[in-house]
Amino acid sequence: MADATFLALTVLTIGSAIAALEMRSLIYGSIALMGTLGGIAGFFFLLDAPFVALFQLAVYVGSIAVLILFTVMLVKRELIFKMIEDRRRKFAGIGLMLIIMVSLGAVFLDSGIKTITTDEPSVDFRDIGKNFVTYYWPALILMGLVLAGSVTGALVLARREDVEDDQRTS
Amino acid sequence: MSVIAPDFKFSKFIQSLISDVVWFVLILSLIGFPLIMMILFFIPMPVIDGELLTPFLAFTYLADPSRTLPIVQSFMMTDMFKIMAFPGFGFAALLAAGTIFVERKMLAKLQLRVGPFYCGKFEGILQLMGDGLKLISKEIIIPAKADKPIFWAAPVLFVASAAAFVALIPVAPGWVVADVDMGLLAVFAVIGFFPIVTILSAWSANSKFPFIGGIRALFQMVSFEIPLILSLLGVVMVTGTLNLSEIAASQSSFPWILFLPVGAIVFFITMLAELERIPFDLPEAESEIVAGWLTELSGMMYGLVQLGTYLKLYAFAALFTVLFLGGWNGPMIVPQFPMELVTEGITLGPITAKIGGLEPLLTQLITPEMINGVLMFVLKTVGVIFFILLPRGVFPRIRVDMLLNLGWHKLIGLAFINIFIALALVYAGVLGPGGLQ
Repeated sequence: MADATFLALTVLTIGSAIAALEMRSLIYGSIALMGTLGGIAGFFFLLDAPFVALFQLAVYVGSIAVLILFTVMLVKRELIFKMIEDRRRKFAGIGLMLIIMVSLGAVFLDSGIKTITTDEPSVDFRDIGKNFVTYYWPALILMGLVLAGSVTGALVLARREDVEDDQRTS
Repeated sequence: MSVIAPDFKFSKFIQSLISDVVWFVLILSLIGFPLIMMILFFIPMPVIDGELLTPFLAFTYLADPSRTLPIVQSFMMTDMFKIMAFPGFGFAALLAAGTIFVERKMLAKLQLRVGPFYCGKFEGILQLMGDGLKLISKEIIIPAKADKPIFWAAPVLFVASAAAFVALIPVAPGWVVADVDMGLLAVFAVIGFFPIVTILSAWSANSKFPFIGGIRALFQMVSFEIPLILSLLGVVMVTGTLNLSEIAASQSSFPWILFLPVGAIVFFITMLAELERIPFDLPEAESEIVAGWLTELSGMMYGLVQLGTYLKLYAFAALFTVLFLGGWNGPMIVPQFPMELVTEGITLGPITAKIGGLEPLLTQLITPEMINGVLMFVLKTVGVIFFILLPRGVFPRIRVDMLLNLGWHKLIGLAFINIFIALALVYAGVLGPGGLQ
């Protein structure tokens, strides 16, 4: 069962990734990208990490993909992109991808992860929280500062009362 | 006048239904049953309880409640029943349909109109059925330059996302379709799909008004998702779990709205914005952009989107109930069922009517606690739905800059204040381990 799901997810992820690159329509390409990100979420589910999987769905599919869709819809493709495509570039790209995949595979094989035990209990998210506030506390504080900075920046950007008042009077 | 049924009469409709049923029963009894008997005659039947299961015996089983009720009970415990009927789609769709009718009638009363009046004998009570029939029988018109695959898929995806949201809501102890350990995170993930479906549907119609409406919907939903998520973190902090059933069960003595009123208010306002309801109905502002992102949808596609919208409304109201109002907890008002009626039967003079097989059903599955829980849950949810509907009769639509200002500026700040309140309550020992709960 797990093998069949894994194969289906692999086909979905890689297939939609290729589709995202090769689609002529940018909208369909971004929908295919959503399929890729959703497939990765499926892998996380399969690896008994529902916490990461749901965050993958909420953040990548729910927000990043929407951002890409939104940008694509407001852009006239012909105006900014010039199509440069020939066989040489295509084969170079495929070759580069193969090199990267082979080197990554070599790294994985070298790292000692050769067997995977299934039927492990899923990781409790409370443990993740405990690790965060004990051993990894500098990382947590750094993330907190970055997030607080970005939220404050967003609030400041959203404020801009001078511009609004000008627009209202005109 | 309608082209499809120019002289439609409800009595004729009922008459045709009855005649269909009569023909079905006639054909079944004259041809169907003999055919089944003949087929069963050639199949070797098993031996049950020491007697051979003949076709005649099999049919008598069907009429024997002590044989059929266990089958019903085991069916009610399957996932299929939960998804289709009770805590899932059927229950939610029923509440959603009721919401549509109550909304129209209540708004009419608020604005001193009559509202639906002519369908059905009493106060237009069959209006919803009439609308449904109308939507099903109408032609689906697709704009010529629409992107057809996405345009067809969008309403279905919308209903599917809403149904996935409904599936996460616990209605009574143990009565939930998907009891996920990360229920609240799953809710956030599902909520993220609505803007995608909306913008895809709006874009694929290839028309001005849907696109403007879709862009507005995207703005609104994405920017209000942030205060929505932040406002619910307080509840997670005081309960220490993300499982919605556990959150509901943790409020057995008092609901969290008593301690986290700020979070509840922020969540309610963001809920109105996510549902595109007045005063935040910019995506479907009917006085500016026809019907917003729903403009090009026709026939049952519009019906599906409408169904999805009201399923979403039910799901959000139910989420508010579960997180802040205590879910199924409440005073026990359903009386205990007199079990001796079931165990000993009802005696009327010389006759004793006893239905076997009913006892396990009433003691294991449909207990008074479960009925009481569902009743409490429905009462609270209907109350929340009432407060969601109420602004539509009262408030005007707000401007888009006011909307974004409210979302980014005020609600996020209030949500952070709510988080600090929750933290203070936990660290002061009022709530959490060592505190009240």
